[in-house]
Amino acid sequence: MTDTPALVERIVAAIERLVALGETIEDEWTYVHDLETVWTARLRAVAAVQAAAASAGPGSSAPSPRDMAELETALDRLAAEADLVTDPHRAIDWLSTLPQATLVALGEAAW
Amino acid sequence: MRFQDAAKDARAVVYAGVQADPLVARAATLLADASPAQRVLARAVMNGESTAAEPWRAMFPSLFGSAAPAEGSPERDRSEAILDASLAVAARGDQVRSQFRGAIVEAVTECLLARRVGPGAIRRERRILFDGVPAEIHPYDVTVETRGAAEAYDCKWGARGISADVLHQLDDARAHAAGEGARLLPVLVVFDARRSCEVRLARQTAPRTGTRLVTIETLDRLAGRRAEAAS
Repeated sequence: MTDTPALVERIVAAIERLVALGETIEDEWTYVHDLETVWTARLRAVAAVQAAAASAGPGSSAPSPRDMAELETALDRLAAEADLVTDPHRAIDWLSTLPQATLVALGEAAW
Repeated sequence: MRFQDAAKDARAVVYAGVQADPLVARAATLLADASPAQRVLARAVMNGESTAAEPWRAMFPSLFGSAAPAEGSPERDRSEAILDASLAVAARGDQVRSQFRGAIVEAVTECLLARRVGPGAIRRERRILFDGVPAEIHPYDVTVETRGAAEAYDCKWGARGISADVLHQLDDARAHAAGEGARLLPVLVVFDARRSCEVRLARQTAPRTGTRLVTIETLDRLAGRRAEAAS
């Protein structure tokens, strides 16, 4: 079964693809990369905490196989949705939206 | 300091039609009572490309998955209704949907404010005039006009809408009001995460210390309620 950090890296990869699209808006280059920096850090931090909790052994807050399967489907669908974006302005919108939706799927506060 | 209806130019007439669309009121009413996760669902769908409901249900397992509230429960029904309204907004097409999204943020703001100050004190599309000061070009989206303590709201769908012009207009209004011995609270409402707004604001040099920022996670404060724990 794939663990949470590996699933989150799929979203990070989708964010990188959105950045490549969004940074073509020259005036927003810095904003686009700043968004990538802060949201990628937030997602990876959440993934690390969840992975640590899941590996804490019996009685830990490890998600069930069914929960993990739903999470994997959710994050793959979110990444696929991001990949549908072809307009650079929409890509910038998604650079903020995708991490929030990912955090909701992970059961975390979306910010 | 005095308030005045904005002139109805061509843009305003077109936009008034969007604001009056029943879909705007329907979405705003749902989002005013939504959970943080449901608000993120609305943001994603209204920003998204997929036009069918099922992919979105799969993307939000905490709202529609095996551990979500049961089908037929009020919470599940609200999630379904928000998904349905959001898809209807997305279906309006790229140009029109951006107008709808802005109008929805304004309507949610009005709806939540009404719970705190009552609907009679709230106005839309108003200018604020000060003696000896040229009027701003852009009216305020929402104002609270109560004796002794007025509030002016600029509403944005996303953090990217935050600009130096917006920040200057809000701060100028506050400063001009103070110059007349009046109190005016400027508020920027953004239907986006504070994290993204802070990224946007970090490189702005325009004044913002006197402007309150309300983001998607703190919308309920407009109604005088503390933000609920996110889910």
